[in-house]
Amino acid sequence: MLRVPLTRAVLAQSQRAGVLATSKRMQSKAPEKVEVFIDDQPVMVLPGTTVLQAAAQVGIEIPRFCYHERLAVAGNCRMCLVEVEKSPKPVAACAMPVMKGWRIKTNSEMTRRAREGVMEFLLANHPLDCPICDQGGECDLQDQAMSFGSDRSRFTDIDHAGKRAVEDKDIGPLIKTTMTRCIHCTRCIRFASEVAGVDDLGTTGRGNDMQVGTYVEKLFLSEISGNVIDLCPVGALTNKPYSFVARPWEIRRIDSIDVLDALGSNITVNTRTGEVLRILPRENEDINEEWLSDKSRFACDGLKRQRLITPMLRKPDGELEAVEWETALIGVAQAVKNAGSKVAAVAGSFVDAEQLVAVKDLLNRLGSELLCTEQKFPTSDGLSGIDFRSNYLLNSSIAACEDADLVLLVGTNPRYEAPLLNTRLRKGYVHKELDVAVIGPQIDLSYRHEHLGSNASIIQDIVSGKHPFAKRLKSAKRPLIIVGANALSRNDGKAFLSSLHSFANQLKPENSDWKVWNVLQTNASQVAALDIGYKPGVDEVIAAGPKVLFLLGADNEAINKDNIPKDCFVVYLGHHGDNGAPLSHAILPGAAYTEKQATYVNTEGRAQQTLIAITPPGMAREDWKIIRALSEVIGTSLPYDNLDEIRDRLEDIAPHLVRYGRLEENNFFAQAEQLAKSQSVAFQGEIDVKQKSLADFYMTDSITRASPTMAKCVQAIKKGQGRAYTY
Amino acid sequence: MSKLIKNAVNFFGVQQLLRLGADVKQNGGIIKSIKKLYRMDSIKAGRLVGQDKYGNKYYENPHFFFGRNRWVEYAEYKNLEYDATQVPAEWFGWLHYRTDAPPYADIAKLQTKKYKWMMDHSENATGTKDAYFPYSTVNAKFTAWDPKKK
Amino acid sequence: MASTPAKRIIQQVRPILSVDRDEAKRRVLSLYKAWFRTIPFILHKFDIPKNEEQCRAKLREEFLKNKDVTDVRVIDMLVIKGQMELKEVTMQWKQKGHVMNYWKETVEPKPQDFLSKFLSGN
Repeated sequence: MLRVPLTRAVLAQSQRAGVLATSKRMQSKAPEKVEVFIDDQPVMVLPGTTVLQAAAQVGIEIPRFCYHERLAVAGNCRMCLVEVEKSPKPVAACAMPVMKGWRIKTNSEMTRRAREGVMEFLLANHPLDCPICDQGGECDLQDQAMSFGSDRSRFTDIDHAGKRAVEDKDIGPLIKTTMTRCIHCTRCIRFASEVAGVDDLGTTGRGNDMQVGTYVEKLFLSEISGNVIDLCPVGALTNKPYSFVARPWEIRRIDSIDVLDALGSNITVNTRTGEVLRILPRENEDINEEWLSDKSRFACDGLKRQRLITPMLRKPDGELEAVEWETALIGVAQAVKNAGSKVAAVAGSFVDAEQLVAVKDLLNRLGSELLCTEQKFPTSDGLSGIDFRSNYLLNSSIAACEDADLVLLVGTNPRYEAPLLNTRLRKGYVHKELDVAVIGPQIDLSYRHEHLGSNASIIQDIVSGKHPFAKRLKSAKRPLIIVGANALSRNDGKAFLSSLHSFANQLKPENSDWKVWNVLQTNASQVAALDIGYKPGVDEVIAAGPKVLFLLGADNEAINKDNIPKDCFVVYLGHHGDNGAPLSHAILPGAAYTEKQATYVNTEGRAQQTLIAITPPGMAREDWKIIRALSEVIGTSLPYDNLDEIRDRLEDIAPHLVRYGRLEENNFFAQAEQLAKSQSVAFQGEIDVKQKSLADFYMTDSITRASPTMAKCVQAIKKGQGRAYTY
Repeated sequence: MSKLIKNAVNFFGVQQLLRLGADVKQNGGIIKSIKKLYRMDSIKAGRLVGQDKYGNKYYENPHFFFGRNRWVEYAEYKNLEYDATQVPAEWFGWLHYRTDAPPYADIAKLQTKKYKWMMDHSENATGTKDAYFPYSTVNAKFTAWDPKKK
Repeated sequence: MASTPAKRIIQQVRPILSVDRDEAKRRVLSLYKAWFRTIPFILHKFDIPKNEEQCRAKLREEFLKNKDVTDVRVIDMLVIKGQMELKEVTMQWKQKGHVMNYWKETVEPKPQDFLSKFLSGN
């Protein structure tokens, strides 16, 4: 398996022999910078910097197709040719390290003619189908042909031989291929093997006969496969669900946050006429770099299906009937008034902080403290595991995960629970000295890792130091223990939390700020809910026997037909008719994450806000406003009328909730450990994860279950499982 | 002298009065004439050229100048709810001087074969409940959850 | 800088049209009369569903809206605006709808409190 890019592997091999001796020397002495001149502008760069990077430092962008900052250098498109003084031939800027005193000319006659020539060769075999190409308008080839290409064509097909034509490949329901348009930049191949860790793509043939493909007929199955669409500089790989839907200039782009996993990847929502057309990643070095998982990217068509668009009340005959807001609010208010203080709320996975606060304020005013989340978290008898944030956060931050040198994953499969965290770990594995060990079922993480076993008693062995892996953890400089939230929601979760947390605090990393204890949450609302003071797990609420139960988008079947309290008036507040809505007596339609300005806190504790891309469909309203209106009908008006006022309330409760984009430092690990400590350290049985293979990844929540694209992905995988070469 | 009398006759509009009398007579008395005046704002009298199957009567009176000498009196049961689209296509040509032959005497119309699929004439339904209402053929942007569907 | 406010007060206010209140009042009255006389013509030209009584009442109402204005310059400005308006009507630069805008009975007031805003969809 590929561990370092080939170009660097050669260098690394030669260094490795004397690695101990040389590394110390190299660290002590910073390498001297060399001076080069880009278009006569002097710039000081480190030796080994490429011409292209040096030019970027003075703000000159050299055109390129194959070069990409986050991928290995290939140097095969030749678009970045520039003239270097006293060099007889132009050099490829992306691959050539600068030498001292080089004078590079990025806009000379020779450079321009080189570019023109390359462009001419590329276009000689590129179809002229821009009018029917989905990349049209956002195509690198189109743009660069305009800026750097020749102003006239010498292409005359005198013997009508036609241009090179390549058969299209079927690589899955997400990516549409038009391989005739391919210019062989190999970005997709490099992405697949370096970042995604699936060596599915490659080239066959050479010269004019070169083809990018999967060798045999199979699907490109990766949880982050959609990124090759963004990487492809031409229209060879395009978004299949989005094909022939819109042109880039028709689209409005709104920056937002993804909520389909707990990472809070930064996204741009592309809309036209009140409809979400596609979702693209937005660069954020701290979270998602520039990648996006397939679920987040392609599940946006689930936002148009199975929506709750009118308030509903259950008629005496048992049918749900669409009613006006006024009727619905009065109906719910009546039930709440009759219930007195026996009112409870269960928060699902897409609930924003504003709504959480509004519901909590309302219930507290009614004299109830029965607020909980669907996802469990160990809160041991009398001792609380959630009083300190450090107990339930990914403390070390997502970006820092790649710097670790030894990672222990317990009861989690980051590849599907948080795909972009997994790419971080993979990045550390490929480019740095990161090793991974897993306690849990046998899973494919896309990189080599040590499987310690799946029995929970292994944790006991490690914590007590019996297990050989405990020694490795103790000697590691930057160890990480990442525990899946689902593992902690087991009945013996207490034992996981107390034993692993205290063990994590015993480890002594070289840097005292390094945080070993990490929890990987699986849904976007959990951290905010715990921050605000919701109790994890629904058991307590069910035991209290509430008369009115608010389901805040609770669709993961923690509350289901069997355990729902008797004679309880259930109010579902959410955006999709999924598992929760059929249980309810009243439905209040809310807004999905693309339809509201709302705060979400990701698994590392970073608050971020979504922005309004489209208006909620039908009579749906922003969720906190529903609660605010309901409170007025009940007769205890909540004291906020607009977003600013409720944000002020958020700030009163927890200031970090409105510090958008900032990561708060987590401390008090020792105290948190004390609070989480439990006497009963008893592990039971095997550790399992819910999402073991790619087929489990696609449909996990109400949005993705409503998405036809996600259903197609699952179908494609199931169909492919019988075939010879797939997966 | 005779010229003087002629001028006087013209001055007092004797001829018009005489014609008015004739019109009233043809319309069947003063009461009926007033009714007709109320309904159609005129009590022109003329030769009945024909009647279509909806009960509209077509008149001609060459005394009036071109453009006024052919007219239609809409069927009684329509009362005040008459409108030009109630004139069927076969009478349209005669009424608008495209042809001088009324439909029953028009060779071309008589020779035209009648087919089953030929639609009956219909008046403009704008403003009534039969009016055409354009509808969208585009799929809805959102599909709602249906509680009945499992 | 202390002298500037004083200076401002001392500075003679330059009139727009009228020198004193009496003159301003005369102008207002003449404008009122001009409108009053124009009302039958307005009704004729614009065919609005109002009669002369209603128009006169509206005219009176519009003038009385500014009954508390005391500044001669402001009165003058309002008179000029009224004249412009009158001209727009008589020259038929305004259309029927613009004239009917004086009676804005059909405009519903926007909801102000949270609950009615919520129910009306904002």
